[in-house]
Amino acid sequence: MSIKSIGIGWLLVCIGVFGWFGLINPARAIPAFARQTGQACVACHVSFPELTPYGRMFKLSGYTIGTRQALPLALMAQFGVTHVRNNRDDQGQKIVPKTDKPVLSAASVFAGGKINDNIGGWIQWTYNNLAGNGDVGHSGIDNTDLRVVGRSENTDNTDMRWLYGLTVNNNPTVQDVWNSTPAFGFPFTTPPNGIGAAAATMLDGQLGQQVAGVGGYMYWNRTVYFELSGYQTADGFFAPLRAGTDTQTPGGVHRLSGVDPYWRLAWNREWGANSLMLGTYGGHFRVYPDNTLPFTDTDRFTDIAVDAQFQHISQDHTYTFQYTHIHENQDYRASYPATLAGVPIGVGPTPVNAHDTLITDKLKGTYYFDRKYGTTLALVRTHGTADAGLYAPGSVGGSVNGRPDTEGYILELDYLPQQNLRLMLQYYGYSKFNGSRRNYDGSGRPASDNNTLFANIWLVY
Amino acid sequence: MKRIGVGLATLACLFTALGATAFAASGVTPVSASDDAAIKLASQVCSSCHGPGGNSQSPTFPRLAGQQQAYVLAQIKAFKSGERNEQEAHDYMLGMTTLIDDATAESLARYFASQPPPKGISGDPAAVAAGKKIFEQGIPRQVVACATCHGAHAEGNGIFPRLADQHAAYIVRQLTVIQRNLRNSPVMHGIIKNLTPEEMNDVAAYLQSL
Repeated sequence: MSIKSIGIGWLLVCIGVFGWFGLINPARAIPAFARQTGQACVACHVSFPELTPYGRMFKLSGYTIGTRQALPLALMAQFGVTHVRNNRDDQGQKIVPKTDKPVLSAASVFAGGKINDNIGGWIQWTYNNLAGNGDVGHSGIDNTDLRVVGRSENTDNTDMRWLYGLTVNNNPTVQDVWNSTPAFGFPFTTPPNGIGAAAATMLDGQLGQQVAGVGGYMYWNRTVYFELSGYQTADGFFAPLRAGTDTQTPGGVHRLSGVDPYWRLAWNREWGANSLMLGTYGGHFRVYPDNTLPFTDTDRFTDIAVDAQFQHISQDHTYTFQYTHIHENQDYRASYPATLAGVPIGVGPTPVNAHDTLITDKLKGTYYFDRKYGTTLALVRTHGTADAGLYAPGSVGGSVNGRPDTEGYILELDYLPQQNLRLMLQYYGYSKFNGSRRNYDGSGRPASDNNTLFANIWLVY
Repeated sequence: MKRIGVGLATLACLFTALGATAFAASGVTPVSASDDAAIKLASQVCSSCHGPGGNSQSPTFPRLAGQQQAYVLAQIKAFKSGERNEQEAHDYMLGMTTLIDDATAESLARYFASQPPPKGISGDPAAVAAGKKIFEQGIPRQVVACATCHGAHAEGNGIFPRLADQHAAYIVRQLTVIQRNLRNSPVMHGIIKNLTPEEMNDVAAYLQSL
């Protein structure tokens, strides 16, 4: 598609969106939590969804600050254009649909906020307009976090001593308040029709909307945070937490056996306009090789991560940094013996090693001027053990050398003309994809062919 | 597997029980219902930005410890009514103050006025000296001495706020928005309308050092 035709379509979308905005009173153009507190988005967000120190306290307080709303709803929509550097495979076939033209990629409805002084939460329901290879849309539950909280003051009544609570959620780390953890880590939104790498750790988005987590947390003197949660496949009573997720297709989701632990420990300090967090988190997950056969032995995934966040938030200049390192031990005690016996469990892929490791590093720096004009650079790297069973050669999605290694950067430019509207330009540059730089898939495709440009309008209301 | 589940549930209950114990042990002794509400509000909500007992860390948010009671009350009312309407007032305080009834507002003002003020932060000696001169003597034919209303030691007086030990960046920001009529304060606007950015920085450095 020509640049000119892209431009005309994009222009029409922009005109439509801004026309709509012209009909909205800007002072009222705020989502559910802002309506509840009467505060602007910037009180809680550096830029949504990255949280400020006050935003973290609001979340840990169970979203209970403010006045309960009669209609606690909010909306979100994203309109964007994705351009993949080479969107044709070695046979000349298009790889991902609906590139190079503006599309409504997703829209969400949120029900969120305070129920009483001790209970609050939010539920997100998302319509994915590009599901089913872009032909048929699909809707289902998205991130959800429900809380019961309590608090106490210190002896001189000047500050909170303890903030504690229970969380029920459907995505490990969605409950976390620091944006160095995966669920609310950068990139905050991704191209809906870009090309994804082959490997990611369990905690890096592999369990979202499939599991139910119940956990307890404590925050002491705004300094030490500790949480212990148990995650299980969202069945029975918890089934609404995976509503709309296809759990019946073999290989579609990760099915956990029993209740698996997730833990989080963080140290936080605030001084001047700065805040610093140093932390660690992790989990141990027992996963059935085939999600439709929940009676076989299980493979074991142990994720141990460290993370850090620094924020400087002032009137004009705001800069923030996040880093996380996730180390995953993969113990294929169910898949590997079955593979050796020549009868792999399920549809695979099945490993050729008994044990693998997978490591992900993410480092991101953001600068905002006047909380309106922002730029972010992120360096991302995933690497691990070569396993030709898990990462076999295959056009575009495969690996010629059986390695999961993917490296690259993400550059993002943001403009927020209003606090609830983000106009963004995002670029993914890959120096390595599924194991190598050149001919990574065995079909002659270089990693840079997957470089992706994403222009997006992201609106919350 | 079930054992792990039961164990996690037990730990979760322990968290709650521990927290509840901590709450019971906090020893809050309310004088009145509004005092109780003000203590809870100040320690659980206001402290997130204004710091423990009103000793804020971030210069975006003013220190309220030791602030004049009448001034705090007047500002809460001004935020609530929208009379004080600079960007930060709108973004942060308008919504918060709509949650506060009149009795709690008075208790909050009393609470912050009774908190011990923080120690000042020393700054560039030349700026501090220049700021001290402006504060105590004003600028001939341009600016009335600040001490005339705000007190010899910037301790404030009634509706004239305490400025001692306030964040310098916050003072500069307030002088700027008042000068540009973004914050509605006609008397102060008349006094500081010709103050230069350098003079603002000097006087702010002095006040922060007190």
